[in-house]
Amino acid sequence: MKLRTFPQGVFLSPAKELTAHRSIVEIGSPPKVVLPLWQHTGAPLEPLVKRGDVVKKGQKVADVEAFIAAPLHASISGKVTAIEEWWHPSMGKFRAIVIENDGQEEVERREPLPKDIENLDSLFLRKWIREGGMVGLGGAAFPTHVKVSPPAGKIIDTVILNGAECEPYLTCDHRVMVERPDTVLLGLRILVRACGAKRAYIGIEENKEECLTLFAKLVKYMSIPTEVVPLATKYPQGSEKQIILAILGREVPPGGLPLDVGVVVNNVQTASAIGRMAEEGMPLVERVITVSGECIQTPGNLEVPLGTVLEGIVAFCGGFVKTPQKIIMGGPMTGIAQSSLQVPVIKGTSGFLFFSRPYEKKEYPCIRCGRCVDGCPMFLLPYHLARLAEFQAFLEAEEHRVLDCMECGVCSYVCPAGIPLTQFIKLAKAEIIRRKKGGVTR
Amino acid sequence: MSVEFKTVLTPPPHVKSALDVPQVMTHVFLALLPATFWGMAFFGYRLTLGPIVLSLLSCLGFEALDCFLFRKPLSLGDRSALVTGLLLGLSFPPGVPFWLPIVGGGTAIILGKQMFGGLGQNIFNPALVGRAVLFLSWPGLMSTYVVRNVWTLSKSGEVVSSLWEVVTTATPLGISKMQGYQALAHLEPRILWRLFWGTVPGCIGEISAFLLLCGFAYLLWRKIVRWDIPVFYFLGIALVAVLARQNPLYHLLAGSAILGGCFMATDYTTSPMTPKGRMIFGFFAGMITGMIRWLGGYQEGVTFGILIMNAVVPFLDRLLPRRFGVKKI
Repeated sequence: MKLRTFPQGVFLSPAKELTAHRSIVEIGSPPKVVLPLWQHTGAPLEPLVKRGDVVKKGQKVADVEAFIAAPLHASISGKVTAIEEWWHPSMGKFRAIVIENDGQEEVERREPLPKDIENLDSLFLRKWIREGGMVGLGGAAFPTHVKVSPPAGKIIDTVILNGAECEPYLTCDHRVMVERPDTVLLGLRILVRACGAKRAYIGIEENKEECLTLFAKLVKYMSIPTEVVPLATKYPQGSEKQIILAILGREVPPGGLPLDVGVVVNNVQTASAIGRMAEEGMPLVERVITVSGECIQTPGNLEVPLGTVLEGIVAFCGGFVKTPQKIIMGGPMTGIAQSSLQVPVIKGTSGFLFFSRPYEKKEYPCIRCGRCVDGCPMFLLPYHLARLAEFQAFLEAEEHRVLDCMECGVCSYVCPAGIPLTQFIKLAKAEIIRRKKGGVTR
Repeated sequence: MSVEFKTVLTPPPHVKSALDVPQVMTHVFLALLPATFWGMAFFGYRLTLGPIVLSLLSCLGFEALDCFLFRKPLSLGDRSALVTGLLLGLSFPPGVPFWLPIVGGGTAIILGKQMFGGLGQNIFNPALVGRAVLFLSWPGLMSTYVVRNVWTLSKSGEVVSSLWEVVTTATPLGISKMQGYQALAHLEPRILWRLFWGTVPGCIGEISAFLLLCGFAYLLWRKIVRWDIPVFYFLGIALVAVLARQNPLYHLLAGSAILGGCFMATDYTTSPMTPKGRMIFGFFAGMITGMIRWLGGYQEGVTFGILIMNAVVPFLDRLLPRRFGVKKI
């Protein structure tokens, strides 16, 4: 089997054996959900409901006029008890809609999509995807309808389904591919139709052999040319630019988007959610997450309603066997450390990890070993950028392409001197962007 | 559920590779040990143990002294002084007076490293700085080679100690410098094999090409160093040898070419950060080494070949890699 990959990067210990074999378990409706008004990359949402309103599962509760935004739907039926500041996994605190479960299980569905997707209008599909609240479920949570709407003059010829799941520990995409392959492929057909592409690829890392064999069999029945591509198990294989380079040999230009090279990349779970909405008429109100790490009693892959508070998930998994010293939302390479069990699941939550040790490393001066340079998948000089950031030489950092950095964390990971290179680089990026916009941005 | 605990909030990534700086230094130290022990066995521990141990102790001691004098935290824990000390010790001819390694260690650590700001800040390889200063200050002591009588190459040796039958002698590079490679090959037809296994006069740690390459293979296997600098270094030497109409293989095996190319030119801090830079660095360091041997006044050019290219590293580091998403021209 010829594996495709990208240059540089790093081989990580996948640590997926804790949960890779565990089937998806639905945790059911929690007594309360908290839906932050910031769920995706783009504009924050405005609530469409007010305190005291009774909402059904699937009912739209927040939206905004902006193009780069996707609406939010109630994930349980119940009563809006508050719209207030709440713990947010990446923002500290943010305004959120709190819904108490009324136990009525009332549901608001849309019409299922007709079966002949290839005859549907792409503009209609894009709108339909937006109305479903679809965002990238790999972690970045970029609104899907934006991805599939190429601006005038740009043509998209290829859709790539990203099943790399290169972050250690996470197995939710793996399980979705194994258990819901038909839904994934239905979602893929809709995505291909929505953006007008001619062919599709499904990129999967070779450590998920069962997914590779399964999809290799199933794609033969696809109405559009679809190829399953085995990828090397290397981090960050699932990064958009890296998976495009690995599969198509195309490089997204600096500051550009995949559509600049005629490609749309979507996570397999996004496709699965779209496929599900086509079949059942239910917008994005739940997702599959991985709960793992040595502190949790029963690690696993859970299907949870959006807004489920972490405390409830921990309780569902049997609580802690060791006191966690570090709680991470997402994977260990790019995930965000959490301070509270009150954080809710948002659309971009791919999992929660509970570690008993903080995994920190003693810091030494840079010995100029060059591992960061050899590892950087964007061909940057992390040691140099970090030093420029440390000296606040932001203009020079920009000249040295600091904005090309996608913050994958490889440089910090490989550094034998334990220097937080990625953090320094993030600092420089944030400062440069702030100066460009002339204000504080996130 | 009311579990009371505090979590650590740090930015991603939340996992780090296991390799750290002291481990890197330990691997390099271990990789040098076979050649070290061979040097001790071949020349006798009486002539070699002193220089090596004193050089190690001197490097450690002077680093501690510097930390104490300048009120810096003690930095011996990074173990880099061990590597410098061993490399310096291996660069002495056997039987040097006891004070020479002490002065050398002080020069290497204080002048070569700490004055620049310590680990990772120095421009020149500390061990080579020590070696160069000693070589220029006491050329006689640094180029008096002794060997047991049976292994000598020239017959002109003066007996130093009858008990061990140790005589002063010329190294292969010395003979070929004065009389040409043909004369050396005439004197000892199996010279290449003797250089490969390490049964020739020379500095303590440089003689066995085979054991040094074994150590280097270990470093490659543990992914501590890359292959590019040594390969381009050897290419540079070989190219000059060809231009000089001399045997390239002889020039690779003789003197400190392998010790220098595999263990000194590959020093992280004093070599370039990018693949392109490393190729240029290695190649020109090799060329300069070869040129000194061919045209220069010294018989050996490894020290200055690498030191000169060390000075070019900050410039080579300005060579940026290709930008992602911008097509190759």
